[in-house]
Amino acid sequence: MGRPAFQDRNHFRPRSDYRILPFRFGRLDGERYVLTNEVGEYALLGRDDLQSFVDRRLDVAGAVYQTLKAKHFLFDDESRVALDLLALKYRTRAEPLSWFTGLHIFVVTLRCTNSCRYCQVSHREEEDARFDMSLENADRALDFTFRSPSPSIKIELQGGEPLLNFPIVRHIVERASRLNQAYGRHLEFVIASNLALLSKDILAFCKEYDVLFSTSLDGPEDLHDEQRILRGGPSYRTTVEAIRRVQEALGPDSVSALMTTTRAGLSRAEEIVDEYVRQGLHSIFLRNMRPYGFAVHNDLVDAYSAPEWVEFYRRALAQVLAVNRRGYPLREEYSAILLRKMLAPSGTRYVDLQSPAGIGIAAVAFNYDGAVYASDEGRMLAEMGDPSFRLGHLSSDSFESIMTSEALLAPLADTMLEGVPMCSDCPFLPYCGADPVFHKATQGDTVGHKAWSEFCEKQTGVLRHLISLLEDDPEARETLLGWV
Amino acid sequence: MVTPDSEGAPLTIQNGTIRTSIDLRAYRMTAIQKAAYRFAKEFTLVLGANDQNSLPVTFLFAEGTAEGEAFEAVRVFFRELLDQELRERIGEETRAIRSLILAQAFSKTDLIRRE
Repeated sequence: MGRPAFQDRNHFRPRSDYRILPFRFGRLDGERYVLTNEVGEYALLGRDDLQSFVDRRLDVAGAVYQTLKAKHFLFDDESRVALDLLALKYRTRAEPLSWFTGLHIFVVTLRCTNSCRYCQVSHREEEDARFDMSLENADRALDFTFRSPSPSIKIELQGGEPLLNFPIVRHIVERASRLNQAYGRHLEFVIASNLALLSKDILAFCKEYDVLFSTSLDGPEDLHDEQRILRGGPSYRTTVEAIRRVQEALGPDSVSALMTTTRAGLSRAEEIVDEYVRQGLHSIFLRNMRPYGFAVHNDLVDAYSAPEWVEFYRRALAQVLAVNRRGYPLREEYSAILLRKMLAPSGTRYVDLQSPAGIGIAAVAFNYDGAVYASDEGRMLAEMGDPSFRLGHLSSDSFESIMTSEALLAPLADTMLEGVPMCSDCPFLPYCGADPVFHKATQGDTVGHKAWSEFCEKQTGVLRHLISLLEDDPEARETLLGWV
Repeated sequence: MVTPDSEGAPLTIQNGTIRTSIDLRAYRMTAIQKAAYRFAKEFTLVLGANDQNSLPVTFLFAEGTAEGEAFEAVRVFFRELLDQELRERIGEETRAIRSLILAQAFSKTDLIRRE
């Protein structure tokens, strides 16, 4: 006699025994809680449903039960592969950790053509060649770079204004490309520049080596020129003209821009977004003021609070979504990074949002003088007199000693979110990261107390808004999912 | 609004200080400590020596805090305490399974060097 084709009726009877899988929760708004699990999936519940879930009083035939089961918040006798699947997803999310350092920042000079009021890198006079990276240090930094096992290497050339030391930029790009013929990594180059010195020769070189540009555009002309001042006068016209030249020579997506929010820009979110559309850009990075360099000296960091910036972000994002609805593709990059962390299987390697922190193990910065820093912000902090994140020097320290230095390992161990008060319980933990340099700069301690942390306030504010949009606004959801 | 303490008596504020007690049968100590840490910006919570099931606590507010703000902060603290207690319960119930998932996740990798 053959095996029966159908299960007995009892098989389909609802079960009341289920096991709760690990999860964190917190308030999303006045009515709803957000639950997240170890692999970053989220669900929204009211307080009563949350309590029923934990008390095992959920109706097993109901939608809440099915949602929580599908998203790995619980398992029962029927979900035999639940643990295997969860373990696989966890492993996928953790895998990028083993890739090690991907982003390598070369500060080829501290000299700059601009004297921006909020400059975070403490630029130097345009003529002072003492602040240029030497050929020896550039070569040592490249050798260091290829010691990383990362399958993807991004070399970011910055300053100051890196085009002021273009011979070294050229050398780094050419030698890295030659070295990579043996190493076979996925190699990318980005020049972070104000584009004031862009020439035909530079464009031709960048075309040959697929070098991209990243620049700053704070918004409409008056807003941009208020903060970003070329030594010879305003910089807006030079910048937008150069953006157009890069787009024409290298392609529309070869230049990206970010904006830094000032007090004056806070009330002009829509105009700022519209300016990006006017310049033919298809991405915008909304960024708040960071507590480094001249931004601190000029009292610009405390010019607005984290909640004020989050409100600015909400308005700007609403405008970005409106622009998309009108048929112009425009992506807000910070949201896109967070959405990838929330929804993509392996998350993102964005340095500021990693746990353990991205310092050293996701990004490293080589200063013009050969000093190695755990991050670009660590280098900025050193310029302000706090060398906590200086890991060593290219001429005297080996890759091994730098990457196992106490200056790197201690903050990595101390700041892992899973062990940090408040973070360890936070539902946004899977989407967030440790920022030891920010907390050292603002609270004098790499962990910091999150009740006072503007980083925490900003992150939770932005994430609450994104989740609300995903859940409550189908049109916004469609656009946001397209950015993942 | 005046928040009643666990006995239902109205709370009072004197010199920026509110005293009450927390029933340790309802909330475990770790939940109380975590909720207090979370509210460090609003007030400092001084934990007293517990008397069997009751923990005396004192809310210390910064100078200039309005009465209404202080009582509201205490109300929200007790709401947070409910959440913290639930978190402790979930953490306790799922601790073993969390370890199991992590062990399972990395069981086939060669991340750990074997001597």
